[in-house]
Amino acid sequence: MANNYDLSTWKKDCIKIGAPTNLLAAATAFLPVLYLCMKYNCWPNISYVLEAWLQTALLFGAFYIVEPISYYASLGMAGTYLSFLSGNIGNMRVPCAALALDVTKSEAGTIQAEIVSTMAICGSIITNLIATTAAAICGAAVVAMLPESISLGLKVYASAAIFGATLGNFGLKQPKLALCSLAIPVACKLIGGMQAWLVIVLSVFGTVAIARMMYTAGKKKAA
Amino acid sequence: MDFTTVSNLPIFWALAGVTIVISALQAYFYIREANIATRECNINPEIPKQAFRIGLISAIGPALGVFIVMVGLMAAIGGPMAWLRLSIIGAAPTELAAATCGAQACGMDNLADPRFNELWMLAVAWFGMALNGAGWLVFTGLFTPGLEKLRDKLSGGDTSWLAAMSAACSIGIFAYLNANNIITKTRGINIGGTWAALGGAVSMMIIGRVFVPKCPKLAEYSLGIAMIIGIALALMFA
Repeated sequence: MANNYDLSTWKKDCIKIGAPTNLLAAATAFLPVLYLCMKYNCWPNISYVLEAWLQTALLFGAFYIVEPISYYASLGMAGTYLSFLSGNIGNMRVPCAALALDVTKSEAGTIQAEIVSTMAICGSIITNLIATTAAAICGAAVVAMLPESISLGLKVYASAAIFGATLGNFGLKQPKLALCSLAIPVACKLIGGMQAWLVIVLSVFGTVAIARMMYTAGKKKAA
Repeated sequence: MDFTTVSNLPIFWALAGVTIVISALQAYFYIREANIATRECNINPEIPKQAFRIGLISAIGPALGVFIVMVGLMAAIGGPMAWLRLSIIGAAPTELAAATCGAQACGMDNLADPRFNELWMLAVAWFGMALNGAGWLVFTGLFTPGLEKLRDKLSGGDTSWLAAMSAACSIGIFAYLNANNIITKTRGINIGGTWAALGGAVSMMIIGRVFVPKCPKLAEYSLGIAMIIGIALALMFA
């Protein structure tokens, strides 16, 4: 087999490893909820599940496709399988792979680049697993030790604070767009009587429309 | 049985562990494949080792952020689900959003709604997270081989608009999610949620503008720090 191994062998083997593991993980992620429903006989009405699914698909559906495409260049083939199974792509996988490619002076598209980004991402996955497992082991103890008011605060306000912080981070780069964007769903909610999916569609497409206007205006200015 | 007790039962740790083991196994198989490729293609064996070390070390910062956020997520959706969701696809904002959609489908304002306390509602939220994560996994599982061609086709157009558009999508999503915490159906303007969102947003902006330029490493902790500040403000003023 010596010297017969090239980029196409690598890619073929990567698909053989990645495709079944990613699909299998998509299925096994349902184990906890299936057990919950069977054990406690609390099967929800299918219409609620479909509505929840529709809402998340409206929020993130485009990203299922856009993210793998846009990150492919920095992650490589094995890196794409690895990263979309292990998550934390923008904040962890891409920076690690980019740094490793830079330090090892690997040229994009070569087998060395594929190996380097794969190994860097595998290293970061191990660190991430250690962190989440440590949080699982002592995080529970930390939560249990916290006074009632603080654990209540975490439970009630953690998501609000994280959503706010994420929007703030975007607002740093595009303050006008972020503010206009926030005004859309707030106005919808104040008017009231609108279905959640409609508010999502108006927020996302409204923001894209405003961004398009700003983009063309900026281009005209530059021209 | 009580919601929080159920979602932290040992059996759920074991069931969540199945998927996490698959993730670890996948990484193991890829390391093995990379070793074969290194040998067959006569690449200096030091290079993959160095790359692995870089990944291992550079991930420590963001992983600490994940640790902090996970403690928050554990309180919101239970330990096993937080462990599962943050070990595989999905970062905290995505998972919280999916769980929130589940709660809303049940007619709740958000995850903190006091009426969100029946097991079937918990099941809807868990289904929501699993279905959402499956979107990325199924897409990459099936279509990764075609991505190279697809990317060339799409970027044939205006690449800078493509980048601007995906940023705008994210902004629209988080604007919607924030509006849910600022205004609720049952209570009108939600003071606690507003303080938390505002505190998170403002502290994130201050960290990004003032502190990160002086100390770039801080960027990795910024989400965790902003979360803590937002919660603290909400507890103080709500």
